[in-house]
Amino acid sequence: MSQRTERRGIHVDQSDLLCKKGCGYYGNAAWQGLCSKCWREEYQRVRQKQIQDDWALAEKLQREEEAAYASSHGVQTQSHAQSTPPHPGHASLGPFSKFEEKKTNEKTRKVTTVKKFFSPSSRSAPKKETQEGKTTSPSISRHASFETDQVSRDFVDFLKNLQKPGREIHKQCRAFIVNMSSKKDLSAEELSECVQDFYQGMADRLMSHFKGSSDSVEQVMDQVEKYIMTRLYKSVFCPETTDDEKKDLATQNRIRALHWVTIQMLCVSMDEEIPEVSENVVKAITDIIEMDSKRVPRDKLACITRCSKHIFSAIRITKNEPASADDFLPALIYIVLKANPPRLQSNIQYITRFCNPSRLMTGEDGYYFTNLCCAAAFIEKLDAQSLNLSPEEFERYMSGQASPRLNSSEGDWAQTGSALSVTATNPVLAQLNHNLELLSGLSSKQEKLMEAAQSLQADLLSWPESVEREVHDILEKYPLEILSCTVSAIDANNVDNDNLPPPLTPQVFAG
Amino acid sequence: MAAGGAGGNSGKTYSFKVVLLGEGCVGKTSLVLRYCENKFNDKHITTLQASFLTKKLNITGKRVNLAIWDTAGQERFHALGPIYYRDSNGAVLVYDITDEDSFQKVKNWVKELRKMLGNEICLCIVGNKIDLDKDRHVSVEEAESYAESVGAKHYHTSAKLNKGIEELFLDLCKRMMETAQAEERLKGNGASQSASSRRGVQIVDDEPQATPAGGCCSSG
Repeated sequence: MSQRTERRGIHVDQSDLLCKKGCGYYGNAAWQGLCSKCWREEYQRVRQKQIQDDWALAEKLQREEEAAYASSHGVQTQSHAQSTPPHPGHASLGPFSKFEEKKTNEKTRKVTTVKKFFSPSSRSAPKKETQEGKTTSPSISRHASFETDQVSRDFVDFLKNLQKPGREIHKQCRAFIVNMSSKKDLSAEELSECVQDFYQGMADRLMSHFKGSSDSVEQVMDQVEKYIMTRLYKSVFCPETTDDEKKDLATQNRIRALHWVTIQMLCVSMDEEIPEVSENVVKAITDIIEMDSKRVPRDKLACITRCSKHIFSAIRITKNEPASADDFLPALIYIVLKANPPRLQSNIQYITRFCNPSRLMTGEDGYYFTNLCCAAAFIEKLDAQSLNLSPEEFERYMSGQASPRLNSSEGDWAQTGSALSVTATNPVLAQLNHNLELLSGLSSKQEKLMEAAQSLQADLLSWPESVEREVHDILEKYPLEILSCTVSAIDANNVDNDNLPPPLTPQVFAG
Repeated sequence: MAAGGAGGNSGKTYSFKVVLLGEGCVGKTSLVLRYCENKFNDKHITTLQASFLTKKLNITGKRVNLAIWDTAGQERFHALGPIYYRDSNGAVLVYDITDEDSFQKVKNWVKELRKMLGNEICLCIVGNKIDLDKDRHVSVEEAESYAESVGAKHYHTSAKLNKGIEELFLDLCKRMMETAQAEERLKGNGASQSASSRRGVQIVDDEPQATPAGGCCSSG
């Protein structure tokens, strides 16, 4: 007995008791060492896969059946047409319409599945939903988990250092995510409020736990934000319930239409002819474009901040004094116009809705973000006056009838002339020209490649024909002659059977 | 995370957002650089930018984090004001005493701020460049009486001579602290109601929630 307890004591380790998935709950041997929740997910996944496979099989069978029926039925109707001419269609109408019904059923089901897949739903769909709804949910969760696994693991690792409160935090976050996924019908503002309330509640509890050490609280809050928003990103970024997407497109088109705006019109104090400045400009553009690829609001903010820092460097190099807002905002507008960042409005909305407010309201990141909002608002409302142009000029540029770079006035010609001479001296422009040459070289190579590919395609197309012809010729030359061969029994040939000596018989020797 | 919440039990840390408004060329940037870096037109200014600066203060034992937001002063960006000054606790409205127009601009800002943010925001009207007093175009009496009439404080500063700037920001911080404390008291009475209605049955012993204007000023 004592030995047994000892063995048990050795055997039962805290980590063995926990769920194998590492979610922090206790596992159960009956559920293959998983906790109830993970087990249910796992079980659901397997079951759903089976259902899907069954479904696919059923579909295949049905299609075969349908084809068989159609062909046999075609024959039937032909024969029927002779015997019963009055209702040739009727006989087929019933079964065919049934098939069509099946087909449309299938189609609508497929459509809903596809819709569900794209809709911002996530795990654990409400129970009342039909089977089709359910079949999609595992695929989505699988898809999401593939990308979010790393973040989840990091989060768990981070929380391990906090021990007990860490588990509590993890529990709450998970519960919150599940809770959120059931609320996908809410408007974006309501979702935002849920998340903000959660942040607030979490921060308050952490504050009392860490006894007011705001640094630790902020650290944990950053991790919480990262974890939650990575998980929720798909369902809450640019949701269908808002017109974010429409605004994105509008902004994008607007920026495209404003391609002619020059740095001079915006009075930006950056001199792009200085190599270091143009380098910073390029980096700033890269950063602002990169923003869209991040999932966590804080990471998006970090992109904006990096972009801003590059702008400041560019201004600092140009003006040799620290940049004020008077310099910064026009420069940022210029960068946004040049970069045309993807889904700008969606990103702004997403950050506004789901960023930890303490960061957004007063921090440095918040300041740059505010400036980006200003830039977006300015671009949206931009008119002739804000560029110091006459309305007619603005109209002409907007409609593409004129370009500020190719003005016919003599003063501008002189400028263009100087610009040309600049081309020779400026290393950046030289680099640009070099790149252009490389690009044109590439494009000519590509054209050659395309030609070769096309000729290859033509060859491939004519090849079967030539083979066919060859085969045909051979067939004509050597027509297939089926020689009649008479097959007979082997023994039947042996006519002289009787002349053979008798078969040997075993002889028995005595002794 | 809300105002005052960041400090916990051991003395509070206030975080305030102050916007700097005023026409271009009135010396906003010089003013804030003088305050935060104590430098003026210096080639050795190390900071990359002067548009967002922070300053830590200790006022009567309370810690204050001041974030000063510079705004673009050009007329074409005037309409963007609300994006900048929302949720700010204080505004510093700068004009150039030698430039009548810039004072007029300040008056417009005051009207707009009062309309948008009410009385929750502490306003400071600042006449800068008093080292150029001989070219003064805005009279002291006019400016001060106007400030009083709109519930703002008036200051005279010179970024070049480093005059009046410390006082300006110290005064502003004190006023913002008073406002924040008054707000906390007000919320302390009514908070439990509003908080519980938003958050169901959860604990309500926490600090007031972040709300527009006064509330969400602390970054903790």
